[in-house]
Amino acid sequence: MRHPSSLKQEFLKNWILGLQRCGFSSKKSTSIMERKKAIKLSADLAMASTRNGTTCWSRALIANASRDHKSKILAEQILGPESQSLKKASSTMPPVICSRRIRSKKILRRSCSSHVRRVRKIALPQKVLSANSVAKRLVQKRTNILKSLVPGGEYMDDISLIEETLDYIAYLRAQVDVMRCVASATKVVNQNSD
Amino acid sequence: MNRGFIQEEMLHCTDMTVLERETARMKWHQDQQQQSYFGGTEFGGGGGGGVVFQGHEGHHQVQNFQGLVGTGGGDLVLGEMVSQSVKVVDAAGLKNRWAELGRFELPDMGFESCGLVNGTSSEFEMTAGAISRTSSCAPKVVVAAVAEPKGKVSAPVGKESSKKRKADKVQNTQVVVEDEPKDKRKKLCAEDGESKITEQTSTKNTTADNNNRESSSDTSKENSKASEVQKPDYIHVRARRGQATDSHSLAERVRREKISERMKYLQDLVPGCNKITGKAGMLDEIINYVQSLQRQVEFLSMKLAAVNPRLDFNIEDFFGKEKVNFKQNSCSFGSLGNLGVQHFLMLLILFLLQYQQMFPACSTSFPTIGMSSEMTNPAYLQFNPAQVVACCGLEMGINSSDMALRRAISAPVSIPETYIDTPSFTQLPPSSTWDADLQNLLNLEFHQGRSTSFPSQPFTGSIEASNLKMEM
Repeated sequence: MRHPSSLKQEFLKNWILGLQRCGFSSKKSTSIMERKKAIKLSADLAMASTRNGTTCWSRALIANASRDHKSKILAEQILGPESQSLKKASSTMPPVICSRRIRSKKILRRSCSSHVRRVRKIALPQKVLSANSVAKRLVQKRTNILKSLVPGGEYMDDISLIEETLDYIAYLRAQVDVMRCVASATKVVNQNSD
Repeated sequence: MNRGFIQEEMLHCTDMTVLERETARMKWHQDQQQQSYFGGTEFGGGGGGGVVFQGHEGHHQVQNFQGLVGTGGGDLVLGEMVSQSVKVVDAAGLKNRWAELGRFELPDMGFESCGLVNGTSSEFEMTAGAISRTSSCAPKVVVAAVAEPKGKVSAPVGKESSKKRKADKVQNTQVVVEDEPKDKRKKLCAEDGESKITEQTSTKNTTADNNNRESSSDTSKENSKASEVQKPDYIHVRARRGQATDSHSLAERVRREKISERMKYLQDLVPGCNKITGKAGMLDEIINYVQSLQRQVEFLSMKLAAVNPRLDFNIEDFFGKEKVNFKQNSCSFGSLGNLGVQHFLMLLILFLLQYQQMFPACSTSFPTIGMSSEMTNPAYLQFNPAQVVACCGLEMGINSSDMALRRAISAPVSIPETYIDTPSFTQLPPSSTWDADLQNLLNLEFHQGRSTSFPSQPFTGSIEASNLKMEM
């Protein structure tokens, strides 16, 4: 874990670089939603590239940004030419996991076919839905939600999910801090100029 | 079993000629036919080849240790074993140890009597049983020497827990169970005892022994090598009393421990999470926090988009509107005589420098935040710079929260006039960590400015200009 100040600094640098790239390319005035999208995307990508593609979430973030056709161009602009390797790494990584996962799922489904389940149901009568299983289900539900929140979380197991969440939270914090600072600075300046 | 045998054979193929090995085998075979106890219940299922192999294996283990004594033992664990064996040379010591162990009573008896008097047939059967058990983990011995003691430990535990033994063997492949640190020593003792006994039983077969001995040193080396390689793969799990020790529950326990450890870190990271117990509640909190952060990002990007009519937002519009001379600004700052202001100025410069580097469009005249009109108002200054300072996003080591910073900055520090009039900021004595930090940052920023692949022509100029202005 790096020092937070250097992290924020690098994030700010990346972000401004990205913003500059997409800002200079689209000189025409845009709608607020487009701008917002560009800003958000650039912030996210800056965050991911600050992490340098070493974690799953950052790779997934970049991959998601470049998967969507509309944002792909923007993402490419933001990421710029020097981060091709990063993008490659990120684009190759998730599908491999994905396919393996699907295959393993299929195997799993095939192996525990209907009769196994029936047997289990017979073995466990309805009344014994103990607190343990309820708690397990609750945890499972929340884990799934968390998986949907963390980019690339669908492909992680429990341990790595928590690790990635840790990392992701740290970076999100930095991102929010920097963005808030910039926003407040902008506000101050606008107040002064008015 | 057969596979293990073949592997073992392949291992020795390098050392012995086929003929030698065959003769050794034949001799072994004969010996075992002579010794009826070897063909007893323990070896019932084994078959001829299997029996030969088992005997073989036992001898190998004996000689492994001898070879280790000879070579000195590169590996730590094996070296330990050697020292153990040296300690346990005399039968009395062996007996004492076993008595201390308590649970190895049955093999103890057998071993002892066998060691002292070459044993009756029933005792021999027992030892043979032990040997067979040790050799039954032969594939693992070949694959990993670390697993070796485990399989053997399970052997003297007794016949009553054959199921447990199986489980232990399974664990050897994945997880090494350490019930207690003492256990290992026990195991080693037991192993040594066994090896001794097998030695004694094999005194008759000297030729075979010699052959084996030739190969044993090599195998021991190989084993030690293998153990060195294999060692990091094992996860040491400590099973407490009454806990399950089969591989699945052990792995599950490891997993759970890992998760709870990470959860602790998360608890520290997520505010308001340290009071909650239970995984579900913590996950709830984490989810809320992540969501709130993500929403904040959304909101802030929206805000920025709304504030800035163009995408390359904050720069030209941001600073270009009021181009107050830097020097004027600094003078007015200086006249306030506030250390916080000084710092603020530093940060401001930094901020501007960064932006200037990024955006050459505004490099012609050094832009500053239009503070000049409010400069005379100290109250404003005390409040506002904090925000702007915070907005730099560069002093993050210092500001855990805006409030703290605000306090720090608004705290007026009287500084001598000379200090204020120091010609350059970089010469400021590092009165606090801020200065050092900032100087570092400044340097860093300059370096970045030069190294980045930016439209560099207007850039260096701007940097130099700012440099000049920095030094005023």
